[in-house]
Amino acid sequence: MLAESIASAASSVFGSKTRSILTMLGIVIGISSVIMISSIGRGFQESVNSQFAKMGAASLQITVKYDTDVTAKDLLNLDDVDIVSSHPRVKEAAPLLQSTGKIQLLNPEDYREAYILGCTGDLKSIQTLDMRQGRFLAGPDVSNSTSSAVIDSNLAQKAFGSANPIGKTIQASMWFGTAPLTVVGVYKSDEFGANYFELPSIIYVPITTLMKMDNVSNIDAVYANVDDRGSMERISLEISKLLSLSHRNEDKYSVQNLLDQMDAVNTIVSDVTGFVSLIAAISLFVGGIGVMNIMLVTVTERTREIGIRKSLGATDWNIQLQFLVEAVILTATGGLIGIGAGILGGTLLGSVIDVKPSASISNILAAVLIAGATGIAFGVYPARKAAKLDPIEALRYE
Amino acid sequence: MLFSDFIIQIEDLTKIYSVGEIEVKALRGVSLRVEKGEFISIMGASGSGKSTLMNVLGCLDSPTSGVYLLDGKDVSKLAGGSLAKARNKQIGFVFQSFNLLPKLSAAANVELPMIYAGVGAKTRKRRTYAALAKVGLENRMNHKPNELSGGQKQRVAIARALVNDPSIILADEPTGNLDSKSGNEIMEIFRELNAEGATIVMVTHESSIARQTERILSFKDGRIENDSARPLQQIFGIRGVRP
Repeated sequence: MLAESIASAASSVFGSKTRSILTMLGIVIGISSVIMISSIGRGFQESVNSQFAKMGAASLQITVKYDTDVTAKDLLNLDDVDIVSSHPRVKEAAPLLQSTGKIQLLNPEDYREAYILGCTGDLKSIQTLDMRQGRFLAGPDVSNSTSSAVIDSNLAQKAFGSANPIGKTIQASMWFGTAPLTVVGVYKSDEFGANYFELPSIIYVPITTLMKMDNVSNIDAVYANVDDRGSMERISLEISKLLSLSHRNEDKYSVQNLLDQMDAVNTIVSDVTGFVSLIAAISLFVGGIGVMNIMLVTVTERTREIGIRKSLGATDWNIQLQFLVEAVILTATGGLIGIGAGILGGTLLGSVIDVKPSASISNILAAVLIAGATGIAFGVYPARKAAKLDPIEALRYE
Repeated sequence: MLFSDFIIQIEDLTKIYSVGEIEVKALRGVSLRVEKGEFISIMGASGSGKSTLMNVLGCLDSPTSGVYLLDGKDVSKLAGGSLAKARNKQIGFVFQSFNLLPKLSAAANVELPMIYAGVGAKTRKRRTYAALAKVGLENRMNHKPNELSGGQKQRVAIARALVNDPSIILADEPTGNLDSKSGNEIMEIFRELNAEGATIVMVTHESSIARQTERILSFKDGRIENDSARPLQQIFGIRGVRP
């Protein structure tokens, strides 16, 4: 009986293509939005997580707590790098000093915003830069305060076109004046949103050079790699204490675990995805109401047919099952189309904002089940109306 | 007293409808016995109760009071699913306006009662072919109703009515929408079926058609006014009639 119901329901649904397509539209839109958003969200999360994983979730970022009363003696300096390294669980530590500037491009009218980061050679492994040409900064650069710079591939292309940038000079206009920097290496730019946003470039110069140019003796942060992921909290506390001891102050240092940052990003993405999914769920609900309305019309149109079937011996349940199955076929087909459209939409959207969408099997399965359940939920009322028709009255209906 | 030869046995059947405040007495105590293999006509004006009787006979409606034994089974107290089951297995309907499902082929239409009876696919196929062959339409199996003439549609309807091997065939003005030639063809088929033992109860308003049957019941005001049955049946019938 069920097999026949499905076969007859299918031929009913696919027999009136236009009406069925219009009915399914709400479901298609609802499901495709959910799939698209959730696959983009997941793709983004995966990309962020893998970037964090590359950085090593056992990375710590140590800075001064700027929201407290900070005096000159509280600021971090190069000695603090050694203090942080002295902790037994710290594998390596590197300093960072940050500044901004504008880099002149091929066209003298054009320039590019850039972060100019002063660091040592150790930062390369902590930030896992993907070197493309040349080399990163080395010991002699730092000890001799050379004007070497490591630039990103995007900037290299914009400043030098296809010419080899190694050995060439870029002019960096900073707050104190313009400094010529010699390119010694090129690393691969971060691709995120490169097509649509003009992200500032990040240029690495020797920290000693930048300190001289900026005329400062302090640094902005110390980055450290830790070899014991399990005790991050304890290690963070201990490092903070070591620094406080050396600077003779209390609780002025923030030791952040990048893992927490990763969790924070993940939570935000999940929340946003969840919120958008909620909106899409509402659209699904509306789609369900649409299905119900069309089915009610269909039942009225087929009153005569229901009367005939009952006269041939169809029970109330036979009729109810038939219309329920039709509703489920409508919504399930809409769900499948929605999944296809959602995956396609996700791929298109992903290529625009540069995220690789990731559609999980469980999401897809859930989408089909939810679509089917919507069919049952919104098909019940019309199906029952159909089932309750009196055959004699129904046969008289014109 | 029950004779097991009676395929239809009705005792003092009444049917009362409530239309708002008004009570309509559609059947006022009808008694009737039909033997297996009879071919009877029912005539009467609109509102005489003949349609109501057909509905009760066809298990589309339950009587308000009285007994209806169909092939020995009391179906008068049945409702819902069990009534539908009785309808499915024991009744074969033929309607004036054919009542075929327009989107299904002739074969699919004929198959339908068997699907509701839970008959397996292979058996359905076999019986569908046999039924359509019986009415001479085995070459039109896959035609849709809109590709068939009136007479052909009615023949498909007859095939459909036969397919579950029913106790009785109920025909409501079967020739009403047909020209005289097709009408005659249909009556010819009914006669053939009757000759093979089928019990047929037919409503008609044309006396020329009614005269082709062996027994005519005339309805008036919810009662059988006249029954042209053989005298012996009349005797057994009279006991049930109330003034």
